[in-house]
Amino acid sequence: MKKGYLRRFVLAVVAFAALAWIPVGLDVGLQFDAALALVWGLCILSLVLLTGYVGQVSLCQATFAGVGAYAAGMMVSTFHAAYLIAVVVGVVAAFALGLLVGLPALRLKGITLAIVTLGIALVFDRYVFQDHIFDWFTGGSGGWQVDSATLAGIRVDSSSHLLAAYEILLALFCVVALLMVNLHESGAGRRFRAIRDSELAAATMGVNLTRYKLLAFGLSAAIAGLGGSFYPLVAGSVSPQPFWVFTSLQFAAIAVLMGVRYVPAAALGGAFMAFVPDVLTRYGHGTFLNKYSYDISYDWFQLAVGVLLVIQLILLPDGVWGDLRGRAHRTWSALRARTSRRVSVA
Amino acid sequence: MTMLRVRDLTVRFGGVVALDAVSLDLNRGEILGLIGPNGAGKTTLFNCISGVVSPEKGTLVFDNRSLRGASPHERARRGIARTFQNLQLWGSMTVAENLAVPIDALGRRNTLGDAVGAPMSLFAERAAMERVRAILHALDLGRFADTLAGDLPAGTQRRIEIARALSMKPRLLLLDEPAAGLDARETTRLLEMLRNVRDRFHVSMLLVDHDMDLVMRVCDFVYVLDFGKLLARGKPADIRKDPKVIAAYLGEEHPDLAADDVSEQDVSMTVPAAGSSASSASPASPASSGAGPLLEVSQLAAGYGHLEVIRNINLVVRPGEVVACIGANGAGKTTTLRAISGVIRPRSGRIRFDGKDVTGRRPERIARLGLAHIPEGRGLFPRLSVDDTLKLAADSGRGVVDTAVAYEAFPRLAQRRRQAVGTLSGGEQQMVAMARALIARPRLLMVDEMSQGLAPTIVRQLFEMLGVLRQQGTAVLLVEQFVESALEVADRAYVFEHGTVGHEWTAAELKRDRKLMARSYLGSAAETAPSLAATNGNGHRVHPELLEVIAVKVPAAVKRDLEDRAEREGRTAGAIAIELLEGSKQ
Repeated sequence: MKKGYLRRFVLAVVAFAALAWIPVGLDVGLQFDAALALVWGLCILSLVLLTGYVGQVSLCQATFAGVGAYAAGMMVSTFHAAYLIAVVVGVVAAFALGLLVGLPALRLKGITLAIVTLGIALVFDRYVFQDHIFDWFTGGSGGWQVDSATLAGIRVDSSSHLLAAYEILLALFCVVALLMVNLHESGAGRRFRAIRDSELAAATMGVNLTRYKLLAFGLSAAIAGLGGSFYPLVAGSVSPQPFWVFTSLQFAAIAVLMGVRYVPAAALGGAFMAFVPDVLTRYGHGTFLNKYSYDISYDWFQLAVGVLLVIQLILLPDGVWGDLRGRAHRTWSALRARTSRRVSVA
Repeated sequence: MTMLRVRDLTVRFGGVVALDAVSLDLNRGEILGLIGPNGAGKTTLFNCISGVVSPEKGTLVFDNRSLRGASPHERARRGIARTFQNLQLWGSMTVAENLAVPIDALGRRNTLGDAVGAPMSLFAERAAMERVRAILHALDLGRFADTLAGDLPAGTQRRIEIARALSMKPRLLLLDEPAAGLDARETTRLLEMLRNVRDRFHVSMLLVDHDMDLVMRVCDFVYVLDFGKLLARGKPADIRKDPKVIAAYLGEEHPDLAADDVSEQDVSMTVPAAGSSASSASPASPASSGAGPLLEVSQLAAGYGHLEVIRNINLVVRPGEVVACIGANGAGKTTTLRAISGVIRPRSGRIRFDGKDVTGRRPERIARLGLAHIPEGRGLFPRLSVDDTLKLAADSGRGVVDTAVAYEAFPRLAQRRRQAVGTLSGGEQQMVAMARALIARPRLLMVDEMSQGLAPTIVRQLFEMLGVLRQQGTAVLLVEQFVESALEVADRAYVFEHGTVGHEWTAAELKRDRKLMARSYLGSAAETAPSLAATNGNGHRVHPELLEVIAVKVPAAVKRDLEDRAEREGRTAGAIAIELLEGSKQ
């Protein structure tokens, strides 16, 4: 068992080392995309926990992220708090909201739960993030501006130190991912998965459904809130638009597309969500064969997600990462079987 | 000594009384059987004990503490474990992980420690996995430890479900139909396992099963439920002889039920004049043996998922004949009907209807050939009105059909033609289902559990309707719990056993010899079951009085004897025990 923890720790360190220097030397726009990819990646990671592990549906993950973002922005702008404090407040606020949203989930499941969480997302989008009553929380119509910030003595902000923000976010992402994989393989994770596979059996086998469902919602919201609380830092400001209802739907769609049960799929999904629209707007227009001009802008991204989702559900039912991983495993074991046979013959 | 005490337990679902003041006692170290026909409330009782359903009235006491207000997981941690009728293993987890969940639930739970790999979590994990291995080894399931539970065949899954329940160190194990869907060989293995479990894990069990052989062989004592009421209790051998039990299983009407107010259930039916119905080309005489068979099934096998429910089914229905399928629950009757009508795909074998091979055809195409299937639960659309339901059937039937025929047959429905089907009474709904089938003018009508949940008077009228159908030349294949009523109208009957046709009898033969039937329902094992009275666990007979002297713990069977005697003589068990003790001193 100890070996498993050690192996996963090494894997996380290797993943960090491999991903850490991707944005080095890229222009500011792409560095921004890379940092944003980790923010969205954390949001999708929260769905891996909630939907992939525990089997609960949520269409309000962007709301949790938004609460984290606004809380962090408020702490920095109104209270001039250190960014570390701002992040902690953002995570705690999201965790509390997650527990509240978890309450109806104790009774509901499937499509009804989806509708209820969608309703929560709508309410927050319209009546919290965009309403004047909550100006103290949202900073009014202009939102909060975060021009410069330091985190643990390192200068991290959108204007000139995006790379530092990326590295810190990546480290956080790797830590959260490591903890989640550890959880999955341990006793608590087994209880989560038991709830996913059969609630009835879980309850009658001694799993406290109330406690673990609430915990799942709380933890999931906290992870989304963690991602969200870095948003002001990366983007330089907070506005309602990134955290509206459609973003929640996009999280769900992309999580399923990449494989909702797998932690690395969250990184893939985050990168997909951040890079693809930007690359499309940058290079998506021009002239083909010097004759036909084309313009594949951001709007095409939504279409692409939809079409890819349909293709994936037919061809890769376990998600892009899940299916590729499964295939790699099968090929690997087949190869090993073949070589071992050859050795034994020799 | 009484481990579980159930008193006056009452459960209602809407207007239906699922359990009516049921009381039950389970002693430590005892295997208690719970039997009864479908819908008798056995699973509801299980759900009450395990906390999935909360009773309306009544008390549950487990180990001298009330279970009131305890949630399912609290009851589980106090030592009540259960299995499920429809398998509820966590399919995407390995067998070892399945067993580890309840072990963790009993022990240390620390989510944060698990996530960071704290020393205590590592220790708990190692201990849990060791226990998992030990349990799997003890039950001879060790080779499945790293297999995904969902990938295993149903028989193995059943045994793993029992292993999972045992991994909680339960003191009471509730087994809900552990033998359902198992073939004879798997049932034998299950039987061995249950005995093994009782000897090694020192656990009391409450066992629900329709396989009477199994119940009679493993149980020390049997309770019989019928319509939510306790019908009888006693030793397996006595239960087998109990006329009330035989009646409940074979559908002999209770005198008090038959005397129901008939006017309240006024369901008059007029028979459509033979001339007006164009369907019967010639009112065939019943079972005209000269005609070729209408339906011919040979070597049919079918099932669901990993489960092969029926195999080697051979049966024949001739035009104008009424044939009954009888047999214990889970014997494969419903599955056979489903395979014939194309609702599920046959795995092998041939089905010929009206001379055409219809094996594997889509259900709607088979229906168009003139084969109507009324499924168990009737398959109606609750929000559709009676009229719309019948029109729908008329539209999808062959050619132009009008609904008048149906209203002629069931005038009661004409009064209610605008009412939504879901708001009708059970008997009326069954009439709608029959009327819908009749509109299509089928050559063969297959009815599954027509009388389930209906009052006897209505049942009688529905059976009369079947008789009328036969006169019109429609063949009927019916699956029925009320065997006696079925045999009144049937020409022949197939007796199903363990997913295949065991015997074929004419109705007259079966009616003459009730033993033939009783055997198919209640099994023949109890005759050969060894007396379980007063053995000390090693098979040695011990004098009950001696046991009372040398040990505080009295074997359950002895206690049962004491209690029986106490009840007969109207005294407390303690008084009798003291009397016996004093007698032995002298």
